Amino acid sequence: MIALPIECYRAIFNNLRYKYKDLFSCILVNRQWCRIIIPILWSNPKKHYENINLIEMFLLTLNIKEQALLIPFKITLPSQRKLLFEYTSYITSVNNYLYHGVSNWIKHRKYETGYELKNAIYCSLIAMFLRTSQNLKYLKLNEIICSQLIFENLYENTTITSITFDTLNNIFRSKAIDVLIKVLYKNSTLTSLDLSNQIFSWDLRAGSSK
Amino acid sequence: MDNGTSNSASENETITLKSCDGIEFHIDARIANRYTLLNNWNGGESACIPNVNGKVLEKVLEWCEHHINDPQLNCGDDDSRRRNTIIEEWDENFLSCDQDMLFEIILAANYLEIKPLLDLGCKTVANMMKSKSPEEIRSAFNIDNDYTPEEEEQFRKENEWAEDY
Repeated sequence: MIALPIECYRAIFNNLRYKYKDLFSCILVNRQWCRIIIPILWSNPKKHYENINLIEMFLLTLNIKEQALLIPFKITLPSQRKLLFEYTSYITSVNNYLYHGVSNWIKHRKYETGYELKNAIYCSLIAMFLRTSQNLKYLKLNEIICSQLIFENLYENTTITSITFDTLNNIFRSKAIDVLIKVLYKNSTLTSLDLSNQIFSWDLRAGSSK
Repeated sequence: MDNGTSNSASENETITLKSCDGIEFHIDARIANRYTLLNNWNGGESACIPNVNGKVLEKVLEWCEHHINDPQLNCGDDDSRRRNTIIEEWDENFLSCDQDMLFEIILAANYLEIKPLLDLGCKTVANMMKSKSPEEIRSAFNIDNDYTPEEEEQFRKENEWAEDY
């Protein structure tokens, strides 16, 4: 095979974006292809966020702080090993399928299904994405915004352009708004904030006039 | 042809292009202008195209001639054009050449910055990879496997989620 410049390979594999199975095969062809394809494959897993193998990979990426959120639940995390790539650094978009994926993982591991464990895992993963992704642009959050760790990481993040909030519960609403205002004040990349599922427009107005 | 700096070309004006192995092609000046083939031209009698040999240049020019009336696309259209994996029949026939030639055309299109031809070539190669196992892709493109068995197994495992569909 005639060698092509990297940018040509990138253009070839970009044609296979979201054709996960095809990209998976190409990854296993050789090392050079693998290096080019991993960022494309991992940029947006879309519906694959439901996949428990993917959730396992995410759990392997948690740091001590993020793991600490799960200690009260006494669950066994996948045994730590060094991954070949920093896969989550390439992720650009996190959607609601992640929440289903966490549910699937809990069921698969036969832990008792309850909102608390589910939310804690979801929360640790979102904090991890905010910490590790160099390219995270779209983030969909629900009431797990209550986590202090997410607040901190969201505040530090400089790549996000769009955040969508699903319903927040009453207890955390004012705290969430407080953080959002701080983020909006500091963040120069955010161009879209979707609060359409909220019923508290007066809250936002009160907040921003502070 | 006396004015090398003119960009507007009348219908009958021809330009001489010379490949890196010295083969000359007399082409309609509109083609050269439409696909900016004269970037490396210093105004001499013929425009030299380094890095592209006669055989490949002939193919590239054949494509340019067929697509002389294509509308110019903006950079913003890149994504939609790339996502669309349908290839026109003429283009498909044009690129059903041997694999070395296909890769030479991609290299030349990249070098000459003929974006639509580059996209077309890349799309064709991508289509050749679809629905194949790693082993089938290696043999189709004559690529050596440079993984250690352990490494290959670990990559398979870490990306297993993508294997289903």
